[in-house]
Order: sequence, then structure tokens, then C-alpha cells
Amino acid sequence: MNCERLDWDLLVRAVDKELSPAEEQLVETHLGKCAQCRREFAEVAHFSRKIAEAVNDIAVVEDSGDRERLAAQINRHELLKPVRQIAPAQVMRRFGWGMAIAATLALGIIFAPKQSNSTSGNVSVRQQASVASAIEVDGETFVALPYSNPDLPASAPRIVQMQVPVSSLADIGIAMTPVSNVVLNQDRSVLADVLLGADGQPLGVHVVSWE
Amino acid sequence: MDQGNLLTIPVVPWKVESVGNSHSQLLLEFYDREQTPLRRYVTMLGIDPETARDIVQESFLKLHEHLLAGGEQSNLRAWLYRVVHNSARNRQASFGVKKTSRLEDMTPAASPVARELTAEEELLEKERSARLRQAMGRLSEAQRACVVLRTQGMKYREIAAALDLSVSTVGENIQRGLERLRELI
Repeated sequence: MNCERLDWDLLVRAVDKELSPAEEQLVETHLGKCAQCRREFAEVAHFSRKIAEAVNDIAVVEDSGDRERLAAQINRHELLKPVRQIAPAQVMRRFGWGMAIAATLALGIIFAPKQSNSTSGNVSVRQQASVASAIEVDGETFVALPYSNPDLPASAPRIVQMQVPVSSLADIGIAMTPVSNVVLNQDRSVLADVLLGADGQPLGVHVVSWE
Repeated sequence: MDQGNLLTIPVVPWKVESVGNSHSQLLLEFYDREQTPLRRYVTMLGIDPETARDIVQESFLKLHEHLLAGGEQSNLRAWLYRVVHNSARNRQASFGVKKTSRLEDMTPAASPVARELTAEEELLEKERSARLRQAMGRLSEAQRACVVLRTQGMKYREIAAALDLSVSTVGENIQRGLERLRELI
């Protein structure tokens, strides 16, 4: 370029509207009096448009099915990741936890007097305090998930309130025992505070209420 | 809340009934607006169109997870381009050059402007675009990424966020990329 005042960098950034106010003033003033730089500026702008056309010229086959699949996946909440990937080494430990819970339940049923810790409506929730440990956050007590470490709560925990279906709880073995003759509707859900770690993974849960 | 309300949660991951749908709407609107530019961007990185489509689809699923986890929402466009860019690089690393595309061979989209041109002019335009894409394939990866994101109307700071570069490096990549393209054309 023959002009010494406006280099290529300034012209490109001028086309991209990426100049500082001082640079903008300089470029505007110079373009106002330099025909050669005006031509150069126009060339950069033209060349930039041609590059954009070359990119936007690429055909993209639209498929409405892609959007529908995405929407369906969102609606089904399929993307709520499992709380942890299970490493082979963890399987036996988890199996051990399952056995411990089962044993505690069995002992509780056989030896303990019927114990309803709390009731609301027609449902009680049975607590296996002997199995679970607790995490205290902001004065709220969360039952630690068996694979979380209650001694090491996340540095920036968050609490998210969400509805958890009773049927899902049942699927994973949480006992919600009716204390009256009313049969618990499996479509019901409970409101729970879930403690999330810094990585977004659940660390503990605290059931807030149920219907 | 007394201890009596606590549940013992076993080891199996659980399902959540609802966490609100505000982000779902946001995500679908975002999809409508960005999926085509994203696919073009991935294609310009040398990925074949079918794989580009998969990468973009997967990236929106990752965005969904990001939103579910309460992730940062201030610059989702840059976040999405970063995810797409990294996925494209991973795919390239995994299948080498076997499934990459020659940029000059990309099928041009039909455009209203093209219909107004004569057949000869249209052919020349197509050839010119193909030459430009071929030349872009000879830029460094960083230059090409910056130049292509610039064509999508992204500001330098957005490009910087998407590619994890400084704003000044983005400016340099664009400047040198355009210079190189001008030499090649």
C-alpha cells in the first residue's frame, strides 16, 4: 500500500467496525482526503463480502426431523446425565451399598416398632439414618448420596428445587409408606431440594414436601 | 426441616420430572438461528457435511446439559462455537483425513442472487467461490477459524471467546488470513 498512514490492519478493522474511537476518527479523517485509501477500503470490504458469500454458499440440507428429535429429547429429559459414570471398580462398592440398605430395611422391619418420622397427608417417608450421612449447607440438612463424600462438600454448592416422581423414587428403591388406607398414587411427586456440586452433579437430597 | 423428612437415596441415578422449561425454549430458538451457520463453520473446518450435522446436533444436546446444570448463559453463542470447534477437532483427530471434505467441492446453495445472473455469470461466481474456499483450506487452522467466524458476523471478542484466543490474536489471524487469501486468489 502506498499510503503510509492507513495500514492493512486498520483497514480490515475499519471494515469490521472494530476500531477504537481514536482510530475511527483517524481513519475517517484520512479516508475523507485520500482517494487511494478509499479505494483500498472499498476493496477490503468487497473482498470480505466475497469471502462471506463463499462460506454462506455452502448448501446445508435442512431436516426438520433434527429439530423434532432435539425437542423430544429435551422434553423427555433424557439428557439429565446419570449422577456418575460407574467405573467397574465401583460396581462392587455399589452392590455393597445395596446389600447394606437391604439389610437395614430388613432389620428395621423385623425388630423396630413402626416408625413414621414425619407425615403429611397420607404418606410418610422412612429414613434409613443408619445408612445415610448428612451434609449441612446453609442450615439445611441433605442426605448424602452414597457415592458422594459428605466430608468434602463442593466448594460452590447450589441447591435446586425439583419435582421427583414417586414412581421414580420407587424405581430406585426409596420407600414411601402410606400410613393410612389410602393407596399412594404412583404418579405423584415429591418436592425436593437437591444439592449440586461445582461440577453439577448431585451430592445430596432433602425432600421438602409431598402431596 | 426436621430429619424425619430426609430420604435415603440409593446409588441408582434418578430421573427428574421437571426442572422448568424456560431454557428449553431458549435452546430451540437458538437452534433455529444458529444451526445452519454452525454446520457451515464445521464444514469449513474440513469436516464432511453429514458429520458436521452430527457434531452440531450433539453440541446442542451439550448446551442443554450446560443449561440444566445452571451453566453460564452470558455468551451462549461463543460457548456453542467453542464446543463445536473442539468436537470438530476431536473428530478430525479420530478419523484423520478419511472423512474430511475438499472445501472447493462443497455444493453451493441456491440463492436468489444466483437466479438473477446469467448462466455464464453464475458459473463464474461458483468458480470464484470454489477457488476462495480452496484458498481458505490453505490458511492455518486458527486463521481459517477466525476468518470463517468473521463471515458469520461475529465480533472479535466473540471469536476470541469461542476459540479461546485473545482479541488481538483474533485481529492478527483475520488480517493475515485475508492477506494470504488475497495472495492466493
